[in-house]
Amino acid sequence: MADDKQNPPADFSELVTQWERNFNEFSNQIMGTPEFAKSMNQFQNMQMEYQKSFSEAMARQLSSLNMPSRDDVVSMGEQLTQIDLRLSRIEKALEKANTVPEKTATKRKAPARTRKPPSKPEA
Amino acid sequence: MSEQSQLAAQMRELVDKTMQRGVKGMDYIQSGNTPVGLTPKETIYDRGTLQLYHYLPVSDEVYRIPLIIVMATTNKGFLFDLMPGQSMVEYLLGLGFDVYMIDWDPPTMRERGLGLADYTQDFLPTCIEKVQEDSGVEDVNIMGYCQGGVLSLIYAATHPEGPLKNLVCLTTPVDSHKMGLFRLWANEEFMDLDNMVETLGIIPAEFITNSFEMLRPAQKAAGQLRLWDQLWNDDFVKSYRAFQRWGDETLPLPGEYHRDCTKELMWNNNLFKGELLQRGKLADLKNITIPLMAVMAEHDHIAPYESTKPLLGLVGSTDTNELALKGGHVSLIAGPNAMKRMWPRVSDWLEERSV
Repeated sequence: MADDKQNPPADFSELVTQWERNFNEFSNQIMGTPEFAKSMNQFQNMQMEYQKSFSEAMARQLSSLNMPSRDDVVSMGEQLTQIDLRLSRIEKALEKANTVPEKTATKRKAPARTRKPPSKPEA
Repeated sequence: MSEQSQLAAQMRELVDKTMQRGVKGMDYIQSGNTPVGLTPKETIYDRGTLQLYHYLPVSDEVYRIPLIIVMATTNKGFLFDLMPGQSMVEYLLGLGFDVYMIDWDPPTMRERGLGLADYTQDFLPTCIEKVQEDSGVEDVNIMGYCQGGVLSLIYAATHPEGPLKNLVCLTTPVDSHKMGLFRLWANEEFMDLDNMVETLGIIPAEFITNSFEMLRPAQKAAGQLRLWDQLWNDDFVKSYRAFQRWGDETLPLPGEYHRDCTKELMWNNNLFKGELLQRGKLADLKNITIPLMAVMAEHDHIAPYESTKPLLGLVGSTDTNELALKGGHVSLIAGPNAMKRMWPRVSDWLEERSV
């Protein structure tokens, strides 16, 4: 019977799907317990505490060396991005101002808001 | 065909695909980012993390009421505009809708203090005003996806006087206590939320991505195996890369917003209970009386079906439509199944209500 024939590509695809399903189900069983949730959060809290104390200590060191901290650099970067955005807005506004007469002449007509739904065939 | 010649044909196909895999695998490694979100658009409003786009209409006659897509805050809106031929935006434009989108950029440290109410009582109303100005039409329709649907619901519940005329909620979780593993992992007994927000300021994208990936730990590896198997298939590879890019560009969240969503929505389930307060206004879903369509995915692992299902029972609308489709959280919106199953049903519903 044709159905019994082997088809390697289809078999592979089915194998992957089956493996994915089984692995996800198995993992979700393990991760779906309060014990897992507790350990995960404890690990996360520990990581954050470490990050917090490390960055505070580093900021103190950098400050004593008269150097900017990560926060200072991030803040500077954000200010630069803001300036960049403002410049691009000014550029766009200038471009628009310079091309107004030409644009008005060729401005695309706004579409009419009169469209109606297509009539449905009666059941 | 004899058994022998059938076997020979299968062998030829296998060898051919293996060779193509080798050649195309090199192309895959060498090529850069897949271009996405190519439908022509203008940014009509831009405020830090918030972007409002207007997609350029493609027909001379459009429906009277403009449609605003509200994207989930954790991801980029190009899921609705993956690539030509696989873009819901392109499909809607082709049908004559005037389409706008509220999309998000990564928030900066300055925006760490943005809370849920900033999104629902400032960002959304401001964008609606901008759309009204741009289109010259008072009424608007909204289609919100996932958390974008939650924001839209909160907006609608706190602005029952309008100008919102119709609302479509795509995979929108309203009962957070039915959010499965997410709910368990964000258990208030174990989670030090305040410390997290104070320490990080901005919740990193990796935190969000890891939470999503932990729900289906084998998905990524299985996806790569499928990619290897299908490397000979250009269409598959193109589509895979576009989805992969979308997943890779998960967005960080403002800490305060994350705190509000976790406390108000996840822990206290206040939207479901009708007890959510936003700048003094009660976001009771019963206040929503406009026509509402709820679309949900039966195999959604991010916003589980059980968490999205109760929506229509909570609102005050009488003109409602529930559409439960086979598929997952992402395949409901983009990809071949979405094109066949979801897009036509939603556009049919909206067409009658956009005149």
